[in-house]
Amino acid sequence: MSQEKFWILFSRKLSGELSSEELIELQELISQHPEWQYAVQNVEDFWGQNHPTNTINAEDAYMLHLHRMGDLNIEFEESFSSQDGVYPINRKNRKWYWAAASSIFITLLAIWYFTSKTTASTKLANVEKNEISTKPGSKSTVQLPDGTTVVLNAGSRLTYDKDFGKEIREVTLTGEGFFDVAKNKEKPFIIHTNAINIKVLGTVFNVKAYPEDKKTETSLIHGSIEVTIRNRPNDKIILSPSEKLVVDNNIITEKNSLPHQAVKKITASNSSTLVAIDKIEYSPLDSTVAEIQWTQNRLVFREETFADLAIRMERWYNVKIEIKGTSLGLAKMNGIFENETILQALQALQETIPFRFEKDGEQVIIYQ
Amino acid sequence: MPENEKIKRLLAAIEVNNDHAAYKELFLMLHPKLKQFVYAILKSGEDAEEVVSDLFIGIWQRRSRLKEIESPLFYFYSTAKNLALNRIKKDRRAKLPPPEEWFIQLNSIVFDPEKLMMTAEMQRKVKEAIDNLPKKCRIVFKLIKEDGLKYKEVAELLHLSVKTIEAQMAIALRRLAHGMQMEISELHLKSYSTKKS
Repeated sequence: MSQEKFWILFSRKLSGELSSEELIELQELISQHPEWQYAVQNVEDFWGQNHPTNTINAEDAYMLHLHRMGDLNIEFEESFSSQDGVYPINRKNRKWYWAAASSIFITLLAIWYFTSKTTASTKLANVEKNEISTKPGSKSTVQLPDGTTVVLNAGSRLTYDKDFGKEIREVTLTGEGFFDVAKNKEKPFIIHTNAINIKVLGTVFNVKAYPEDKKTETSLIHGSIEVTIRNRPNDKIILSPSEKLVVDNNIITEKNSLPHQAVKKITASNSSTLVAIDKIEYSPLDSTVAEIQWTQNRLVFREETFADLAIRMERWYNVKIEIKGTSLGLAKMNGIFENETILQALQALQETIPFRFEKDGEQVIIYQ
Repeated sequence: MPENEKIKRLLAAIEVNNDHAAYKELFLMLHPKLKQFVYAILKSGEDAEEVVSDLFIGIWQRRSRLKEIESPLFYFYSTAKNLALNRIKKDRRAKLPPPEEWFIQLNSIVFDPEKLMMTAEMQRKVKEAIDNLPKKCRIVFKLIKEDGLKYKEVAELLHLSVKTIEAQMAIALRRLAHGMQMEISELHLKSYSTKKS
């Protein structure tokens, strides 16, 4: 049954029939089997290949077709448009042109006048932007006009221009998003975050870029992506599948502190590195990917400090958490929350390290 | 579907400007696929050529109402099918042959060594897998992969259910992947439970 499910979902994906819920289901299935990545990628690449179109036969057929139209007495008058779509403007038309141009100008002026008056009190230049945001404690799935699917984690915001996809596909992300970018070689998809820019052609990956976090993380599930760091536009980092790029958010404040330092490949976590490529964390038990577990309503944390975990729990449960005492904040935590309430979650954490807590509404205080 | 967008743009140029260049571009773009599609039903190159020509004559004569067409690609295929059926009916009271009897030629089996990391042995196996696809599977695979139609549209063209299309596509893909030595055993999938649908 499950094997059939996989093939049905996978072929639906390639055919562009997949819903965003099914996409998550499929990604989950694939991420549980990293050994499939290569073949899945190969089938996808194979699917994307198109036979070179040989137009010679079609050109001949077109000539025969025009002859046939003539034989059947179908009028096919010569059009006035030139081959490349440039339309000559004669003098009479030109006058009309200027009239139209000036009336457009007046209209624009009027629009500017009225909109500037009304929006001045609210937000600046909001007219051209689309914005999707999620509150703490909630998630949302968005389908962009080009077919790209984005799952937004709690407390995140995605903005893009009204004319997204016309010439360029560009979005700005604050927070965390799981992207399945629709393939389009002519129009790269670019994601801007505070610290980094990510350029892709079509692939699946997760970006975690909360401004309050210490690090920005980009985890590639499959395909390939190109990352540039905000103040070092010339250094391009290409990620391979199952790799994770971790960028210290301080990098954009520390100007040119490490001008030509190469990116370090690390195995153990090294907090002093500003940019590092790490491996995606597959669970040893079921080889699920920790980085995208949130899309399955699971809060997964491995070797994470209590302080960092508290920030994630704040977003996850829509609470404010204060940890008193620095040693407690540095304790390393491991675990998964799935359906637990905030109280159950805190009680579970108490099993691993001793602490006490007080909860008053949305305020949680943790102390030794 | 970017192809639909392109067709819409060309149809609009034909409708608004009587644009001959757009008309030609549209013809060159769709002729190979449509001819193969009609050929699969009629099994005669000459007849297929005339059906496509008739179809494009219709487009020209109806050019003032082209923007009423909602999904253009499907419009071309369903009109082609109807024109082909009319041709069969002229001879005798016949109906659409079952998909198994269609003659299908797949042309998207290309291996670009720069893009695909496959050994010659794998390529041979993939080719073999595709050559041996059951007839029904082939036509479904062709109309979806090469011609870019939706499941629902193929179901309607072939008088099959969407579920059948879904199953046929899964079969085609599994065989293809099998050729690429992608074995997915039940054992691996044990940990996966169908939580939601």
